[in-house]
Amino acid sequence: MQIHLGLSEASLPDQTRLFGACDGKLVDLNLAYAAYLSQTGDTGAYEQAAFYFPQTIAKFLERGEQSLRALEQTASFISKTGVGKLRGPAGEKLTYTPGEIRILPPFQNPEKSFVIGFSDRARVEAMPQAEIPSGFYKLPQTFVTNGAPVIWPKFAEEVDADACLALVIGKAGKRIEQAQAWNHIAGVTLLIDITARDINRREGLTNNNLLGKNFPSSTCLGPAVLLKPARKELETLEIELAVEGSLQQKFSLRDCVFSVEQIVARWSILGIKPGDLLAIGASMALKGDRLQNSAPLKIGSTVRCSSPAIGELSHRVVAPGGLRR
Amino acid sequence: MKLATYLYQRQERLGAIDAAGRMVDLHEAYASYLRAIDANPSADELSRLTLGRDMVEFLKRGDKALAAARKGLAHANAAQDREVLTLDPKDIRLMAPVPRPGALVSAGKNFSDHVAEMASKQGPSSPVAFLKLPGTVIGPRDDIPHPPEVKNLDYEVELAIVIGKPCVDVSQDLALDYVAGYAAFNDISARDVIRGENKSGIHLMGKSFPGFAPMGPYLITADEIPNPQNLKLNLSVNGEKRQESSLNYMIFKIPEIIAYWSQMGLHPGDVLTTGTPRGVAAGRKPDQPAWWLKPGDVVEAEVENVGRLRNRIVAE
Repeated sequence: MQIHLGLSEASLPDQTRLFGACDGKLVDLNLAYAAYLSQTGDTGAYEQAAFYFPQTIAKFLERGEQSLRALEQTASFISKTGVGKLRGPAGEKLTYTPGEIRILPPFQNPEKSFVIGFSDRARVEAMPQAEIPSGFYKLPQTFVTNGAPVIWPKFAEEVDADACLALVIGKAGKRIEQAQAWNHIAGVTLLIDITARDINRREGLTNNNLLGKNFPSSTCLGPAVLLKPARKELETLEIELAVEGSLQQKFSLRDCVFSVEQIVARWSILGIKPGDLLAIGASMALKGDRLQNSAPLKIGSTVRCSSPAIGELSHRVVAPGGLRR
Repeated sequence: MKLATYLYQRQERLGAIDAAGRMVDLHEAYASYLRAIDANPSADELSRLTLGRDMVEFLKRGDKALAAARKGLAHANAAQDREVLTLDPKDIRLMAPVPRPGALVSAGKNFSDHVAEMASKQGPSSPVAFLKLPGTVIGPRDDIPHPPEVKNLDYEVELAIVIGKPCVDVSQDLALDYVAGYAAFNDISARDVIRGENKSGIHLMGKSFPGFAPMGPYLITADEIPNPQNLKLNLSVNGEKRQESSLNYMIFKIPEIIAYWSQMGLHPGDVLTTGTPRGVAAGRKPDQPAWWLKPGDVVEAEVENVGRLRNRIVAE
């Protein structure tokens, strides 16, 4: 199931809720579960629903297997009842059209949000001999989701985009063996890594990666988390990136230089937690015998990253200061 | 004012140090002040609302929270029931004043003597920094775990600059106005891990193992440090002096690094560090192996007039 983090019209900014995508509608999972429980005669329906479907996807994942079971029960309740007939225990509205919900980046403040990658300098020579999946950190303050403008950073001359598939960690662990890696993955979401390439090149001279990768709106994340896909499905998911409708990148995990097992084993050395993100980029994926290139952007370009099972991120690149709120 | 974050009965609390050097619980002190002026029945709630739940929230609330903290502290200093508002040091454990910064921007290659000892070709043409993961931050007396993966564990004494206001594209002239305060900082580094990562062109893990960022002991508010650029800093391992210098020797000065990194947008509670002078183990010749940190070592990093960190290395 695709899970979204969002706000309905009546919600205060910190009252985020989880929504499941069903038949083109978004269903408030907390209320749907409460409806299911109250139908079975459970008296503490609202409290239980608030526990199993808390305010964030990261907290939901922290609850572990029990939350996933509650999600399965909710999903079968929704399909039995029919999306059109769903109501909360007290008759509350719980089905929305996508336009009624303000969708947010699925993770607001992960402790770890890494993109696995090479620096420009290393991209040419490192690929054949790279031993470890190195990575860089994308600050949560840079996150935006589908529909938000990407603001051209005024300090940059060149800006480009890379499509990434972000592995969502569902179970905490440290120094995880490769054989156990898949047990720690709860799902996937899309990430576009926006780079100020001229700055990145300069920072690369000292093996750093900060300003060129971390400016407002430099990380497009979402729109939903695809929960618990089968491993085979995950490995064959195709991710595409297009600029102005023209396909620039296309990859699946099968094409990547490093395996999911290698990446989880490596970065879990630091300890990983539910809601952490390990993103694997198209620039780590092969096209023939070469790594894929980043897609250059211009002011006015629209960049889209999509994978049918996860959804689409679409962003227009706007001039600095051109954003009116 | 010396602001602090500490654990009391397993709860994270905000504090300030009173005239007698004791920890005052800021929420309690301000609530007590509110009750004293008009017997306010909502004093506890109002105190929480005004000060915020943690240091980042406190800093986001800006001048209003700072004024409330000063009132609470003055009230505690004058109070008859002072014992009620201060805590026995035995009962508390100091955390870093900002235990979870939004961003931890750590300068590299920012002292020419350190650039030389690291055998870098030349100083950089613009400020260099990397991100340490916010989760690496630990308290001023906490142990630093020595990860089994690491062979060359090193230290770097620095000044931590804590941002107090939203800070975007500011000029050098105004940069210091955005600083909430200062703390001592030790940028613990796994040199061998960094070397391995650099083959792919980027390093991150070598600076970001858990516990690699001791900070504190307090956040000294900026009004008490009029000339941060003149601060002296030093570091010793097991009592042996390894680093000793002054922030005057920074290549990019404090206002320059704030102005430069404000291009990415800085927020209250973000932390910038200054970079370190010479004297790190990585630059030591010829007895380098003896200088790497090992379990049992005690490393003390001090910024004069700001504070001293004392952390023990323990095998993980």
